[in-house]
Amino acid sequence: MTTDNLSIPGTQSAPDIEADWSTGQLVMKGDSYPENTFELFGPVISWVDRFLTSGDQPLTLVLQLIYLNTSSIKAMMDIFDMLEAAHAGGRTVSVTWYYDSRNERVAELAEEFKEDCTFPFAILPRTD
Amino acid sequence: MPHPTRDQRPLDDIIEDLLNDPQYAGHPLRDALFQLWSQSREQLERLERVTHISDGFQKMAREQTTSLKQRYDRQLRKLEKAAHISDRYQDMMRDLNIALQEASTHDHLTNLANRRMLVDRLKTETQRAERQGYSYSLAMLDVDHFKQVNDQHGHDAGDQALIALARTMQAEFREYDLCGRWGGEEFLILLPQTPIDVAQHVIERVQGSIRRLTIPWDSSSLDLTVSIGLAEHRTGESFFDTVNRADDALLAAKQAGRDCYRLA
Repeated sequence: MTTDNLSIPGTQSAPDIEADWSTGQLVMKGDSYPENTFELFGPVISWVDRFLTSGDQPLTLVLQLIYLNTSSIKAMMDIFDMLEAAHAGGRTVSVTWYYDSRNERVAELAEEFKEDCTFPFAILPRTD
Repeated sequence: MPHPTRDQRPLDDIIEDLLNDPQYAGHPLRDALFQLWSQSREQLERLERVTHISDGFQKMAREQTTSLKQRYDRQLRKLEKAAHISDRYQDMMRDLNIALQEASTHDHLTNLANRRMLVDRLKTETQRAERQGYSYSLAMLDVDHFKQVNDQHGHDAGDQALIALARTMQAEFREYDLCGRWGGEEFLILLPQTPIDVAQHVIERVQGSIRRLTIPWDSSSLDLTVSIGLAEHRTGESFFDTVNRADDALLAAKQAGRDCYRLA
C-alpha cells in the first residue's frame, strides 16, 4: 500500500496543494505566482507522473485556481498534457475547475485551458 | 570465319559462362578476366554497403530534424498559448484593479465620491491653492429632517432619496467640481479655483433644483430641502479648518430655519 501523498500548504502567492494517492485526487486551490515555479510545481508534476505510470486508478484533478502567472500557466499546461497522454492510453482522468460565480473571467480562462483537452473537463461555478 | 552474332544476354551471365568454360582453363586472359571480375564484384558490394549506410544516416538525420521541428513547433504553440492566457489573466487583474479602485473611492449607495476620495482631492486642491494662489470653495450640505424620512417611510425610502439627491446635484456641477458623500445624509461639494461669490451662485442653483425635486414613493412623494454651509479656503489654512468653518456655517443655516445657506 503506497502512502505517497502530497500536502503543500498555500501561501499568498502559492496555491494549497493536496494529493491523495488512495483516492487518486489532486486538489489545487488559490492564487499562483510563486517566486520559483519549478520548486512548487516540480513535486506536483512528479506526483502526477508517478501516479499515472503505476496502476490503473483514475486520476481526478480538482482546481480552484484564481490568478496564475505565466510560469504557472505553463506548468498547468504540462500537467494537462500528461493527463491527455494518459487519457490517450486508456486511463480514466478528469478535471473539475471551480470558479467563484462573481468572477466569470476565471471560467473563460479555464475554457482556454480546456480547448486542447479531450478528457472530461468540467468548469463549475461555486456560490459560497 | 563469320563474325559471330553479338551475344544479347546480360554481361554478368556471359562472363560467368566464359569463366566456367573448361576450354579457357589456364589461359592467361581467363585468369586476368577472373581477377577483374572478382575485383569488380567486390567494389560493387562495397559501394552498395556504403550507399546503404549513407542512406541510413540520411534517414536518421531527416527523422531527427523532423522530430526536432515537430517538438519546436509544439513548444512554440504551447508558449504562444501560455502567453495568450497570461495576457487574459493580466486583463482580468487590471479590470479587478479598476473595480477595486472605484469601490475604494466611491460611495456604494450614491456612486458619488466617498470620504476617502474627497479628502484626497481636498489635499490636492489645498496644495494647488498654496502654489498657484487660487483658492477653492467648499460647501457642506445636509438634508433637512432626513431622520423623519427614514422614520416615516423606512430606510429604503431614505436610500432612494439620497440616490435621487445625488443625481440631481451631480447634474448641476461643472466637470472639475467634486461632489461626494461625507457621511450619512451629509455631502461635501468641492469647487476648485472658485471664489466664494461665484460658489454662492452654484450653491443657490443646487439648492433650488433640490427644492424642485420630487421623489415618487409609494402613492405619495418625498420632498426634500437642504441646508448648506459655504466656506472659501484661506491661504495657510489646512483643509480641515476650511471644512470646520463650512460645518459651522451649516450649523448656522440649520439654526436659521433650514432650506438656506450661510457663508463662513
